[in-house]
Amino acid sequence: MIRAVRLIGLFIRVSVQNFAAYRFDFFVRLFVSLGHLFGELLAVATVFSNTESLAGWRVEHMLVLVGVFRIVAGGIRMFIVPNMRKVMEDIRSGSFDFLLLAPLDAQFHVSVREFVVWRITDVVLGAALALYGCHKLLGTIPLPQVVLFVFMMIASFTIVYAVWLTLAAVCFWIVRIENIEMIFWNIFEAGRFPIQIYPPWMQWGLTYLIPVAFITTFPAASLLGDPVTGMSPRVPLFASILALAALLLSSWIFRRGLRRYSGASA
Amino acid sequence: MNLPMRALAAHFRAHLAVMMQYRGEVLLWSVWGVISPAVLYAMWSAAASGSSSGVIAGYDQASFAAYFLMMMIVGHVTAAWDVYEMGYLVRSGSMSAQLLKPVLPMWQSIGANMAYKVVTLMFVVPMWAIFAWIVKPKFQPEWWEVAAGLAAMVLGSALAYLLSYVMAMAAFWAPKLDALGEAFFALSMFAGGRFAPIEALPWYVVPVAKALPFRWMYEFPTELLVGGRLSGAETVWGLIAQLGWLGVLVVAFRVLWRAGLKRYTAVSG
Repeated sequence: MIRAVRLIGLFIRVSVQNFAAYRFDFFVRLFVSLGHLFGELLAVATVFSNTESLAGWRVEHMLVLVGVFRIVAGGIRMFIVPNMRKVMEDIRSGSFDFLLLAPLDAQFHVSVREFVVWRITDVVLGAALALYGCHKLLGTIPLPQVVLFVFMMIASFTIVYAVWLTLAAVCFWIVRIENIEMIFWNIFEAGRFPIQIYPPWMQWGLTYLIPVAFITTFPAASLLGDPVTGMSPRVPLFASILALAALLLSSWIFRRGLRRYSGASA
Repeated sequence: MNLPMRALAAHFRAHLAVMMQYRGEVLLWSVWGVISPAVLYAMWSAAASGSSSGVIAGYDQASFAAYFLMMMIVGHVTAAWDVYEMGYLVRSGSMSAQLLKPVLPMWQSIGANMAYKVVTLMFVVPMWAIFAWIVKPKFQPEWWEVAAGLAAMVLGSALAYLLSYVMAMAAFWAPKLDALGEAFFALSMFAGGRFAPIEALPWYVVPVAKALPFRWMYEFPTELLVGGRLSGAETVWGLIAQLGWLGVLVVAFRVLWRAGLKRYTAVSG
């Protein structure tokens, strides 16, 4: 365990050093992050210049949701997407062989190799916006809700990680689809807005079948603690069960896939 | 047939075969073109029912359904991605091989573009049909609106392609400017009417959106095909605006291409 933490620290340090070599890039990237946030705020401004409420969510609620979306969108590009893209490439090219030679658990190793440091700006900007929206609605930021929010965000990231690990593991069987990650991005797109905008049957599907609701809507709702967001008090329990189940299932699929790996072409 | 047309036909056939090979991959790209407008329809439909009048910028739920269904189709026909790729072609030097051929590299890219749109039809047409069946759109075009709308869609797709290519040529000067693709995308969303009809944008954005060429690529053909939104005079002026922008972009392409190639020989190898 201590060794794992020290290794993660080492990988992060290498990433930070790589990043520090291209300092000017950071300002370009910061500009891009701000651009994304600006686009999302313009979308909110557009919606609420025409209506008071979006399926019960008002502008303050939506600011929190946009913040959460930015945290997730940036966070996964910081440490999930770069690692999983690398696994998929390695499986295709056969350089996965080298990874297997390292005296480390394969799933752990593939999950912590790379960190895109500058994406932290997305997480910080998103968190600031979410807290601002919460403060604007409630006049204060109640600590218990923040704790619940952090818990729900961890569950959200765990679910997303499990999805990406599964997609990466699929490459053990189907090598040829290069943009398999589009499956995730297509589904994630539905999480831009509260799931209450969809018809009831689709809300059900987006909660229980494809748990998009747990990725953005429920974390935002847990910070707000407002009944209009339609979150039942059992949701945190569901979230922890779902996250755990997703993690175990994806890890099982990954190990099954690993057994099929025969060194494509190295 | 002259040389560019023969090259175009050959590239089209070759890319048709490539896309058929990678149909799984192509399917995943084309799904996005259906999901994004569908999500936006759900959002605007909820927004319309949350507003006091139930109507936003002249659209109620059923006409929002028509708008975003049409936007799916227009978005598919106008898809262009050179602005995302040119940086890579320049950086990696792959452009060199294309430049050795006796026709402009553009013809290869147009061939690929058309092949993509034809191959993906077999995925997107059923998805459009399912979406239409679920949301029950309200269309009311006159026959002249259909005719003008189809012409506007063809012109719009040429416009989108050319603008994407012209913006992509910035890669000759700044090959690592990957944010350019995102800028093109964001402008097509807001200034093109893909996120919302332009009339629904906040008042301080509307004049900017109207001055840019993006609305002529996406919103104009969509409005015509939805029907009942544009007068005859507005339609004629719109078609003229499309042709005018096309002319501007053709000139811009020729000037920038010549200047860019000089830079390219100096940069990469």
